[in-house]
Amino acid sequence: MSAQVDLVHRAFDPAELLEAFHRGADDVGAVVSFTGFARGKAREGAPVAALVLESYRGVTLRSMEAIAAEALDRFDIASCRVVHRDGTILPGEAIVFVATAARHRRAAFEAADYLMDRLKTEAVFWKREEGPGGGRWIEPTDADRADAGRWA
Amino acid sequence: MARHGPEAATIEVELCGKLAELHGRLLALSVPGEGCTAGIVLARAAEAVDGLAPMVAEGRVRVCINEVVVSDGAAVGPGDRVALFPPVSGG
Repeated sequence: MSAQVDLVHRAFDPAELLEAFHRGADDVGAVVSFTGFARGKAREGAPVAALVLESYRGVTLRSMEAIAAEALDRFDIASCRVVHRDGTILPGEAIVFVATAARHRRAAFEAADYLMDRLKTEAVFWKREEGPGGGRWIEPTDADRADAGRWA
Repeated sequence: MARHGPEAATIEVELCGKLAELHGRLLALSVPGEGCTAGIVLARAAEAVDGLAPMVAEGRVRVCINEVVVSDGAAVGPGDRVALFPPVSGG
């Protein structure tokens, strides 16, 4: 069982990450991946020029490593991969990539779902949308918290 | 007579996320030279930065020392890397 977690500062290609993850996964019957992208519009429809994710030194990476380790403990998966951007992210660029590998699909689906729900609420980032009217800080929504609460 | 009293220490506190908008990124804070704790840092910061006190009172600001989020009783010494975290946004 292994978890590989990276915090990256430049745009990444989710297809390349998936290919590399799949190549490294031996004797698995299922690989599930999820990629989250920066949207060009805010929740209420206003245009977003960029999403800015601020991280804090080793704390951010360790927060994600802890979540990945718990996914390995909790689900019958062979491995998982998490890659997260920080800095300025333009609409259409990937923010986060998660992949899981397991002998059977259910564990792979559930572990990926779990990883994303917890990353969305607990990973140590401060996020703001930059638009024509200035910046707006984003906090987890009630829906995000309810999603994360499903695993409590 | 000591040249430096118990209030002599000044520490630099990094304000993260939206907290930086209240003051700027770095806050120079006068704290007790001995026996300083994360709780004291938080209380002094709340006095020094306009708009911070309500968030602190609601328990929404955490203290991070040397890359570990700590409770109020944690000791803060010279040379420690201190930051204040507002609630995280998540990824």
